[in-house]
This record gives sequence, structure tokens and C-alpha cells, in this order.
Amino acid sequence: MKQTRLAQKIIRTQFKDRIYYPSRLVVDTIRVIARCGILLILYSYVFELNNGTINGVSYVTAAWSMFFYFAFSVLVLRHISQAIMEDVRRGTVEILFSKPISYLSYRMAFQVGKGLYSFLVIGVSGALVLALLVGFPVTATSMIFIPTMIVTFVLGVILSLLLYSIIGLLAFWIEDINPIFWTVDKAVMILGGSYLPVALFPTYVYALALYSPFGATQFITHTVYHTWQTEWYFKIGMQVFWVIALGAIVHIVFQRAKQKVSVNGG
Amino acid sequence: MLHAELPICATLKIHMPKEEKTIVVSELSKKFTFPVKTEGTGWLKNLLRPEIRHVRAVDAISFSVTKGERVAFIGPNGAGKSTTIKMLTSILFPTSGTIRVLGLDPTTDRKKLAYKIGTVFGQRSQLFPNLPITDSLEFFGVMYDMTDIQIRKRVIELAELFELNSFADQPVRKLSLGQRMRAEVAASLMHRPEVIFLDEPTIGLDVIAKKSLRDLLVKINNEEQTTIFLTSHDVGDIESLCNRTIIINKGILVKDLPTQELTRTFVYEKYIDLVPPVAFETFPELPDGIRYATKGKNKITTIVDLDRISVRDALKALLDIFEVEDVDVYNTDLETVIRHIYEAD
Repeated sequence: MKQTRLAQKIIRTQFKDRIYYPSRLVVDTIRVIARCGILLILYSYVFELNNGTINGVSYVTAAWSMFFYFAFSVLVLRHISQAIMEDVRRGTVEILFSKPISYLSYRMAFQVGKGLYSFLVIGVSGALVLALLVGFPVTATSMIFIPTMIVTFVLGVILSLLLYSIIGLLAFWIEDINPIFWTVDKAVMILGGSYLPVALFPTYVYALALYSPFGATQFITHTVYHTWQTEWYFKIGMQVFWVIALGAIVHIVFQRAKQKVSVNGG
Repeated sequence: MLHAELPICATLKIHMPKEEKTIVVSELSKKFTFPVKTEGTGWLKNLLRPEIRHVRAVDAISFSVTKGERVAFIGPNGAGKSTTIKMLTSILFPTSGTIRVLGLDPTTDRKKLAYKIGTVFGQRSQLFPNLPITDSLEFFGVMYDMTDIQIRKRVIELAELFELNSFADQPVRKLSLGQRMRAEVAASLMHRPEVIFLDEPTIGLDVIAKKSLRDLLVKINNEEQTTIFLTSHDVGDIESLCNRTIIINKGILVKDLPTQELTRTFVYEKYIDLVPPVAFETFPELPDGIRYATKGKNKITTIVDLDRISVRDALKALLDIFEVEDVDVYNTDLETVIRHIYEAD
């Protein structure tokens, strides 16, 4: 009960913090328009060259898949790695360790709150714009679409937070986590379908996207494909598996990290 | 008669309030280990089997603090004071020894203890920089499981006590350092902690802000019986705030005594001011053990090294050299006393 109230308060406070800083929303919007918008224009051209369909996938489906990736990325969950690293580097970890909270839960709620405002604004407005421009994918009319999309979105959020927390926690051992962060982040970007829609992946890359935690964080991008109708339970199951596995790893790593705390100076 | 009095004494003894120990530290040690690169050794060996260096930051220290005490825990840089404070507040794990804070073990009862203590780290902020201070206070209220009514009441109380109202609606990042530190302390007192640990709370503050913060801490100590455990390099904090001083150096507890006794017990030098009838014209060489602190036509201040010459002999020698109208003999300041203790160790 206390945990939920605290998580809500953190998210609300961060939400408010973002509203105080409207420039951040502008930056996020420009970033999404620049990256997602340009890719959508390019893919529109490529799909047109191929009579509107590639590998059985229509442009509308590919566009929505890519939009889901970019909308999800606005949550900036991956920045939890840097937040943990900064806590360790600056010593602010000591402030949080002396409070009656779970450090990681606090950081996770904080991260969700940080990106929520931009996500809601860009997600809703972007979805409306995309619907007006290209229409809805056929799969969106399916009964399971909305409930499974919500489940896979929530699991994707948890999985992303766990995955990037592990990288962040490495800061307790190594000074600079950025090279590891960069490698993992690029794996998530590629396997999540930011450059190429997942349906157009070669078989072995698709297998990587399917069975690795990097790809599993972005299963939201799979929900618009017709294969989702038959594979959703497998993919959600895969996400649950990775949540349990990474949750256990985070727990073990954090227990060891706590012993490594050495804050210099007063 | 004697027999008749005995039971009264015994009864008195039973009803005497026992001094409540807030902090009990016994044989506490902390050792840090870290790898070091060995020159002339291959990078692979340095990576896989580096040389491990050990640093004993805190070495078997023991002390206790009673409820309501105001304790200064001081020492030079690298003495081990911050490490100790971090072990007392569950941030660091001790290598050996035991700690009890309010009857709890910080290593195993971290969350339980966190509800009863407050922390202020002078160089680090716990407030939300973009939001007004009240948002941070409300946030801490929720963190400490206070009800909404309790939070509202406490925010009003603290805002009045710490005079936060004049800047309560401004984002924290726009506050002056003095205002921010007042807000930091207020935030750490949100849940009415029984002990507050302050790590250099007045660092960087101007004299007015320092005084204001010290006065507030004394007030909180008097009104809410909050035990204060403070580390600082500022002698003013120790003199005006703490009734007891513990000195640590190189991880070892050097001194533990009432602050007032510090200057009395560890007097190594005395100052003698000489005021001339008209003006001093010359400043001759002084006898062994006496040196000039300041040379002025209207006043000379000399420093007497008590290891080499007594005050009586120094005074006699000075009166032989100078024609004076007035003399003032006084102790060295606390800063000099502390410096001597650090240097002697």
C-alpha cells in the first residue's frame, strides 16, 4: 500500500516537474518527428515502389509498428542507467540509501514519471496524426488487440527498467558504463524495430528479436502484425520469462552493489 | 538514622531517569579495498589479477551519544568522519564492530531506522530542483508514510519555523544557498526524526545564513529533543551548536570531551595584548617562546608558547621591554586548539 502511494507520488511529482519544464516536451516532439517522421517518409517511398506491400506487410502496419517503437522510446526508460551511474558518481546514492525506500523501486518510479508527460502528449497526438495520415492497421479491430497491447506495453516497461537497471548497477564496479549502455541500447534499437520494421527482419535477426530480452522489451511493435493474433501468448510468455530472469539478476546484482558503496568525502 | 535513610536512597536510585543512549558504537572499523595498477606489469595482469590495496578508514572506534545531545564529530580531511556517519545511517556496511542507533542495527534494520533518523549532506541536495520546496516536503511526507493531514500540518509548522514562506513558491534551483540549506534541514525533519545527522551543513554559507541555521538547529534540539550529530570543519558550528566534541584522526578516536573543555584542556598558546600609553615606536626582538601576532602603533598582540615559557614569565619579560598602559591575556581560539590536536596526532 505504502509502495503504491509512494510510486504514485513520485510519478505525480515528476509529471509536475516536466510540466514546469515545457521545453523538454518540445525537444521530445522534435526528436520523434525528426526520426520517426523521416523514416516513415522513406518507408512510404520504398513501399510505394513495391506496390504498397513488402514481405506481406502493408505500409500502414509498418508505419504503426515504427510509431509504437518511437512512442515507447519517449518514456526514456533507458535513462535509468545514467541516473544510477550519476547517483554513484556524484554520491547522491547515499541520500537515497538513508531513506525508508527501496532504491531501485524509487529510481524506476522516478524514470516512469520523468517520461510520462511527453509520452502521453506525443503518444496521443502522434497516434491521431498517424491515423489521419495512413489510417488504422487491420489488426487493430481484433478483440485481443487493445488488452494484449496494454499487457505487452506494461511488461515492456518493466523489462526495459530491469534491463537498463542492470547496466546502471554496473557503475558500482566500473567507472563508466557508457560503452556497455551504448551496446545494449543499440541492440534494443535494432531488435526493437527502430530502423527496420520487425516483420522485414531476416530469419536469424528475427529469432534474436524473439528470444533475447533486448527484443522482448519492444514487443509492443509486434502487436500490429497479423501474426500477433496467433503468437501473442508466446511473446507475452517470453516477456514474463525475461521479467522473472532479469528481476532475479537485478536482485542479486543490487545486493552485491550495496556492499560496494564507497562514498568519499563529506 | 543511617538505616532509615538507606531505603530512600535506594528508592531514589530506582526512580532516577536512566540516561537514554541514542547511539552506541563499539570497536567500529571500516576497511576499503581497491585495485591499483602496478607499473611495469602487463595490462592483462592488471586487469585480471590487480594488486589490491587496503585502506583502514575507521579503526576500532567506540563512543555513545545520549538522547538530546548535540555532538560535533570532527577531524581533518580523510579522518574517517564521513565514513562513520555513513555507517551510522545505513549507507556503508562496517567491516567489524557493532552499531546501535535508537536500539537498531543500521546494517540489518535500514528501513526501520530510516523512519527514525534524518540526514543532511551539505554538499548534496535531496530536494526537487525544478519544483517549489513544498512539493519536496510533501514528497518526503509520503515517503515517511505520513497521512495527508499530518503532512499538511507539518509543512505549515516547518515553513513557519524555518521561515520558508517567503520563498515557498519558488523552484528550489532559484533559491540562495542559505535558503536551500534551511529547506534541506526542514525536509530532513519532516517526519520528526529522533536523531539528525548533518554532514557539513553550513559549508559555503555566509555568516548570517550560518547563524540562522545554527539557531534553528538549537531550537529544534530544545523543542523536539532531537539528538544532533554533526560533522563540520567550521569551528563556529562546534562552538555555538555542540555541547560535546569527538575528534577523529586517521580513523582513530583521538578525543571525546565537552566542547567547553576543549579550549581549557588543550591550551598550547596564550595571547597577550599590549596597549601603549601613547604609541609603540619600536618592535624589538622578543624572548624565546614569545612571538608577535600583530604589530601596531596602538596595539601589539603576542603569542606565548606555553611549552617554552609560562604566562607569568612572558608577562614579566614583555613589561620589561615595553611601556604599557593596559594588558589583556586570553586563550587561543578553538580553531587553533583543534589544529594543534590534529597536528599532534
